Amino acid sequence: MSLETEVEALRKVPLFRGIDETKLRLLAFISDRMEYKAGERMCTQGEEGDSAFILLKGAANVIVNTPDGEKVVAQVKENSIVGEIAILCDVPRTATLIAASDMDVLTVSKDDFLKLLKEFPEMSLEVMRTLALRLERTTRDLAAARSDAAA
Amino acid sequence: MEKSLFSFIWKFSAKQQIFILLVTVLSYPVSYVLLELPKLIVNDAVQGDDFPRDIFGFEFDQISYLLLLCVGFLGLVVLSNGLKLYINVYKGRLGERMLRRLRFELFQRVLRFRLPHFRKVSSGEIIPMITSEVEDVGGFIGEAFALPAYQGGMLVVQLGFIFMQDPLLGLAAISSYPVQGYVIPKLQRKVILLSRRRVKNVRLIADKVGESISGVPEIHANDAAAWHSADLSDRLYENFKIRYEIFNRKYFIKFLNNFMNQLTPFFFYLIGGYLVIEGNLSMGALLAVIAAYKDLAGPWKELLAYYQLVADVDVKYQTVVENFDPADIYPVERLTADECVELTGDLEMSGVSFSGGAAGQEVTDINLKVPEGAAFAIIGPDGSGRSEVLQLAAGLVSPASGTVKIGTRDLDKLTASTLGREIAYVGGAVHIWTGTIRDNLYYGLRHRPLAELEREGSALSDYKRRLAEAAETKNPTYDLAAVWDDFSAAGVEDMHGLDARALDLLKAVSLESDIYRLGLQSRFDPAMDDVFADRILAVRRKLAARIAGDPEIAGLVELWDISKFNASASLAENLFFAVPSDPEISMENVPELPEVRAFLKETGLDGKLREIGLKIAETMVELFANVSGDSGLLGNYSFITQDDLPEFDRITRVARSEQQRPGLTQADQDRLIALAFKLVPARHRLGVMDDAMKEAVVAARATFHKKVVATGDSFVAIDPELYLPPLTIEDNLLFGRPRVDRRDARQRIDAVIRTIVEETGLREPIVFAGFDYHVGVSGSRLSAGQRRRLALVRALLKNAKLTILDDIATGVGEEDQALRATLQEILKGRTFLFGAPNAAAASGFQKKLVLEQGRMSQDSDEHA
Repeated sequence: MSLETEVEALRKVPLFRGIDETKLRLLAFISDRMEYKAGERMCTQGEEGDSAFILLKGAANVIVNTPDGEKVVAQVKENSIVGEIAILCDVPRTATLIAASDMDVLTVSKDDFLKLLKEFPEMSLEVMRTLALRLERTTRDLAAARSDAAA
Repeated sequence: MEKSLFSFIWKFSAKQQIFILLVTVLSYPVSYVLLELPKLIVNDAVQGDDFPRDIFGFEFDQISYLLLLCVGFLGLVVLSNGLKLYINVYKGRLGERMLRRLRFELFQRVLRFRLPHFRKVSSGEIIPMITSEVEDVGGFIGEAFALPAYQGGMLVVQLGFIFMQDPLLGLAAISSYPVQGYVIPKLQRKVILLSRRRVKNVRLIADKVGESISGVPEIHANDAAAWHSADLSDRLYENFKIRYEIFNRKYFIKFLNNFMNQLTPFFFYLIGGYLVIEGNLSMGALLAVIAAYKDLAGPWKELLAYYQLVADVDVKYQTVVENFDPADIYPVERLTADECVELTGDLEMSGVSFSGGAAGQEVTDINLKVPEGAAFAIIGPDGSGRSEVLQLAAGLVSPASGTVKIGTRDLDKLTASTLGREIAYVGGAVHIWTGTIRDNLYYGLRHRPLAELEREGSALSDYKRRLAEAAETKNPTYDLAAVWDDFSAAGVEDMHGLDARALDLLKAVSLESDIYRLGLQSRFDPAMDDVFADRILAVRRKLAARIAGDPEIAGLVELWDISKFNASASLAENLFFAVPSDPEISMENVPELPEVRAFLKETGLDGKLREIGLKIAETMVELFANVSGDSGLLGNYSFITQDDLPEFDRITRVARSEQQRPGLTQADQDRLIALAFKLVPARHRLGVMDDAMKEAVVAARATFHKKVVATGDSFVAIDPELYLPPLTIEDNLLFGRPRVDRRDARQRIDAVIRTIVEETGLREPIVFAGFDYHVGVSGSRLSAGQRRRLALVRALLKNAKLTILDDIATGVGEEDQALRATLQEILKGRTFLFGAPNAAAASGFQKKLVLEQGRMSQDSDEHA
């Protein structure tokens, strides 16, 4: 797979949807392309996060530690980004990621992503918009949940 | 040391000077006859009569007489020039020998300076003295006596001739000499003083430049460049002023001299003319005198030039030598004596005072006793006199009053051969020598060459010549190529034992793992040790087997396989399946190599590679065109730098333009190919390598091996059965590349390599390979901690009776604590002085002595 296919995949990630193609190509170029075998650990809950993962192929299980041991809470699929919170703010990994099948992943390191945002402010704007939308949705969900609980 | 240049020259080369003089005088009749013969040939042989002539019983007719005279002339030409050649070479050789003697003497004197003296002199001043300032002296020495004697003689002869013609004219001829003899030295003295000032000023400049280089981070950190520039510029102006004044005076002397010389004919014409008119002198005699006077000017000029040269060289000599004669210089025996006295007994200082010349560098009335075999801590902050006491104990400095003794021996009376072998000292500021780790480890054992080296044939005659020259110039005759490492002092039998001992000590001070890592990264020549190369190959096979047997690991590496494309390696490695024999050669230069160029042309790959390079360049230009240079994105991820970008922008535009001209130059094409060579497909994913190209690359390998690798020695083929010297030991072990598209592949593979290396017992040889790691200028490629530990091992290897450590491992951290315990363990039973700035670092020592402001604290015993 070459840069072009990676750019295609990036375009499908909501966070990058509004960003023009040359910048996506640059993002793809400065990212590391990694292969993971099924069962290989991508990151561990509680660790310091220094990169985000963009899934190009395959799926990964999201696992969190619960009092009853590790538990799969979700699965992330192709064309999604995980761990992006870690590259925007300094928080430990909130979950463990384990490859559910053989995967192709684009790894964006925190430093490079921030450099890219600094270099192209319109990209920051796009990221901000996406995050704001997400926040808005979360707030709405929370309000709904509260009213449900009150009811 | 000889205060004046002439006494130095006479003392060491009187015999040679007389010889030069004799040969010079001998050459005079030869040149005289050489000048006379042409006249004889013309007057006698060509225009003469009375033939045949009878010479030594042989009869000569006119032609054969001419032939005889011409052959004689030829013979004299050869003889005269041969003599000149011989004497010039002789003078040059004498000058070089004397210069060597002088320089060595100066250097030896530097080694004889007492340590406090180095606070007053700087290397920036000393270096030009030994190197450039005495240079002129060498050229002068061959002429020192011969020239004045020869030219003076000529002058006397010519003057005699004039006086014989007419005493009055003779007086006229020398009438200007008294004036010149009086005025010129007066003027010259000024020039000498100026020369002295100039030499000193240049030294100062050298010193300032040297200081600026060593302090360059400070200059930048404080924005003091302007100040330093102004300072140096000021010095340069000073230099200009002095030089200008010297010129003025020098040329004035010349002017005066020429003027005087031409004034004399005035008297000739006036007095001589008068005498001729009066009839007291014949016309012919006057003309002869004027001709003789012309000949007088030559020697006189030479003598004057000589006089100026002497003044110049002598002042240079004196300004140098006066710096090498401090009153308290050590006697030369301290350096050269080779007698080692065993230092047994207690270390005792009684009433010792010492001053380093500044506040905080003095100690007063020190009385202490360290029993043999005891471990004492000397405690005191910097400036308390702690370092001075330890240096006194090491015999590095001498007390101003009182005595420092070990047993019955006064350290001040011992030579370096005892002090430097029986005492080990590591001070706070360690020095690591430029060279390998091995050089530095065994430095403390290299006192004298131990065994004579066996030499044969030309090596032997070469060596003999070296010895003869050394004897001629009073240089040492030590053989640098011999074995210097004193195995018995380290308590071992041979080199292997010494290496093993060093390894133990490196482990003890926890430096071994650092050196192991350096060893993995180092290259070694399998010709030196093929057993080691075989063992590395064995590990390579074992590693390959383990990789084959474990799919987990197998997924982390791409091993070299001549029939497969390796996506984690560069295109160049893939194409050549070989590496340049010279590891210094960079990918930029590879396309320029003629054999590579020919290969690419023959296989038709050059066009394809250029196309790939062009695509890469286009992508790079497109991706990074709008990225600012200071973002750092380009440097990290692209294989071209921000500075190259405009260049590649130009190349791509030229390449894509329809016009034939100007077209790409050879250098541009090479750059594109170099860019393609650096491509690592798995990392760069530019989509420029299709399967057909990969196949073509793999197919071309055989051609490259046949045409380039087999026919020359600029490349070494990647061969699973061979050790590849241009690659590091680590790369040789792995024989492949960790995959760039697997997370932490390098670390995980390194761990596997480490286990196998441990299992096969290869760790030790790799550490030994690390011994050959070059530490850079003054150890600059090692960290400060590594340098200190290296110096520590160097001292421990000496097995000295007394070991003195000053401010080494005095931290409160666990690492330093452990190191202190280890040191005490290693030095058990031997006298050990440990200097530390605070008492916390001195736990575990039998006794602590506390220093305060240069005095022993009264309560020192209570710390026991």
